[in-house]
Amino acid sequence: MKPSFRLVILGAALLSLSLADAQAWSLEEAAKPYAGTEVSVIFLDRPGYRAITAMLPDFEKRTGIKVRHDVVPYENTLEKEVRDFSSNGDLTVALVDLVWIGTFADSDYIVPIDELKQKYPAIFDPNYDMNDFFPLILNAFGSWNGKVYGPPFDNYSGLLYYNKQMLKDAGFDQPPATWDDLYNAYAPKLTGNGKYAYALQSRRGETQSCDSFMRFVWPWGGSLLDAKFRSNLLSPESQAGLQFRQNLIKYMPPGIVDFDHNEAVNALAQGQVAMITEWSAFYSTLADPKSSKIVNQLGVAPEPKGPAGRKPALGGFSLAVARQGNDKQQAAAWLFIQWATSKETAKEYVEKGGVSGRQSTYQDQELVSKYPFIPAMVESWQQGVPEFRPRFAEWPQISEIIAEVGTRMMTGGVSIRRGCEEIGKRMEDVLSKAGYYDGKKKLIQ
Amino acid sequence: MNKKTYSTRAFFFVAPAVIALLTVGILPLIFALCTSLQQFVLTKVHLKGTVLGLWPIYDAPFVGLQNYLSLLSDQSFLAALGRTFLFLIINLPIQLVLGTVIALLLHKPGNDRLKSVARVCLVIPMATTFAVVGLIGRLMFNNDFGVIDYFWSLLFGHKVQWLADPALAFVSVSAMDCWQWTPFCALVLYSSLTMVPLEIEEAAKLETDKWWHVLQRVQIPFMLPGITAILILRTADILKMFDVIFVMTRGGPGSATELMSIYVQRVGFRAFEQSTASAQAIVMLIISIVLSRIYIRLVYREI
Repeated sequence: MKPSFRLVILGAALLSLSLADAQAWSLEEAAKPYAGTEVSVIFLDRPGYRAITAMLPDFEKRTGIKVRHDVVPYENTLEKEVRDFSSNGDLTVALVDLVWIGTFADSDYIVPIDELKQKYPAIFDPNYDMNDFFPLILNAFGSWNGKVYGPPFDNYSGLLYYNKQMLKDAGFDQPPATWDDLYNAYAPKLTGNGKYAYALQSRRGETQSCDSFMRFVWPWGGSLLDAKFRSNLLSPESQAGLQFRQNLIKYMPPGIVDFDHNEAVNALAQGQVAMITEWSAFYSTLADPKSSKIVNQLGVAPEPKGPAGRKPALGGFSLAVARQGNDKQQAAAWLFIQWATSKETAKEYVEKGGVSGRQSTYQDQELVSKYPFIPAMVESWQQGVPEFRPRFAEWPQISEIIAEVGTRMMTGGVSIRRGCEEIGKRMEDVLSKAGYYDGKKKLIQ
Repeated sequence: MNKKTYSTRAFFFVAPAVIALLTVGILPLIFALCTSLQQFVLTKVHLKGTVLGLWPIYDAPFVGLQNYLSLLSDQSFLAALGRTFLFLIINLPIQLVLGTVIALLLHKPGNDRLKSVARVCLVIPMATTFAVVGLIGRLMFNNDFGVIDYFWSLLFGHKVQWLADPALAFVSVSAMDCWQWTPFCALVLYSSLTMVPLEIEEAAKLETDKWWHVLQRVQIPFMLPGITAILILRTADILKMFDVIFVMTRGGPGSATELMSIYVQRVGFRAFEQSTASAQAIVMLIISIVLSRIYIRLVYREI
């Protein structure tokens, strides 16, 4: 059992101890001392943030806490937050992408929940129920080195989207369950006459390193690093996965190495390809008649399984209290985070376009029938690796290396083995400089 | 020659401009210079206070010239530098030659209405935001519906992976740079051409019936200051070229289009190694100053 998970249970036990005064707790009462305080946070221009923004007036009315939010493009968010936190800026809530949690926690930008709980016991809702979050995503998005920093807020999983009609015409009434099926049975029949079986967004950037490269390492039993943080890309499993990706290119549209999310989603939406593996957040684009020609043929399933299981792409954001806020701001910040991720707001959050990370939300049959991607996503979150991409501070650097060499690999500019050797060498340089090999830094990813 | 003297009042008129230049241009440069001498990793430093509330002080250790020395052994940096020079050497001559041709066409008598339309059209690429030029590039070179691929397949009967092939991606980015900046060269050179006194040009045309003699002996000398300006500005622009590439290819595929500033951004804001990135930026600044001096010495002539 992961240490962080044990702490969650400990936290839950503490919570149940304080259940005695549960009856007395209400958001309005708890927020009284903090009325008039301003909470400042960065939001993205994505459905989950639009949903919570629409619900904000209710929170502000009930608590008197003002929430100021700047909408920033994803590409600039990390840079902006780090600049703010390193110069004692005015952000009081941190929006934490799962790959940033190591950076933020190690740099002491964010406050662990247990520490907050000790400092402000009165503002913690006894009915909040931390255990209700999917353990995988609470662990991946919000925990670091055994401590929970924030609840999952904007949650994604990689899913297999497919064109039912194209599959049916080729003689399949089910999506492929394994990558092997996809390659051997489905792909040959679905490729031809300008149509292709599968598209894999692979453009240089996080798209290449996360969506393309890592997606074909984990399900084959490979991994980026071994237990000692040396490169594991030359292991037979990692090599098999990456070789599989290379073989699969012949069933993808030409120029795949320049496909970003938009191109891949469009290729499916316009009927050019039969299947893509994409984030759950793209469901709305594919299900919207304005942007998609296949609304009625759209199918959603969990990602296919590899020889080592499913291990789908994992991504998402948690919200955490920023260390730089003063006492009142920290308390107000937690009240906001707690409200935004509570059981009570979860349903409305989903109905307005967000994706809740709570298991209880999806037991609601009405919601499940309205959003067909939910079962596939819940299925995906049952099994997975939190460190699908390592979450330590060095990941962005490694991501750039993988993006550069990975795209070269796909265009045939370098062989898979040589490419992996190069990634391994440059990655180990980065990790060595960071102090992982001489014991200066603990081996946590 | 007497040195001109100014009244003290004149200093007050100049002062706002000087102060603005100092705060906007020089101070950040000095900050970058200081940073480049420290071990400054943005996620590991903390603000320790400020001098007069203006100059931030961080707890970053001083390492002297170590950042500069490590650049010499940084293969990616050297490769990006080489790629940037290749980009410069390919694109600058193309833009200059095409610009000269357009300027000469504009300068030719006749067709006045058409030429005034052309002059307005020439401003459009320059006035387009870089990121938009990148987006236009992505659309034009798109493999499915891009206009370039369409004409290419009409002419040669097959499609080409413009942005997915390392060499062609470099060509595509170059093409967009030429599209955007050839008009600039044309307009600068055109204005130089209008400075040639009419009687000299007419006299020259009576002397010879070969247009290139006129160009070489009469027009080019007048164009040299303009050419120098173009060389300096375009060199500085290409050394810091970022937006178009970032939008079009993100430096990929592989590192085929990773020019200097893409690499600097990657070091500074992906790895947060501000000190290394600052050192690289300072090196680029020195390179562009040196190149500018060379251009002025070799090309520039007073008329």
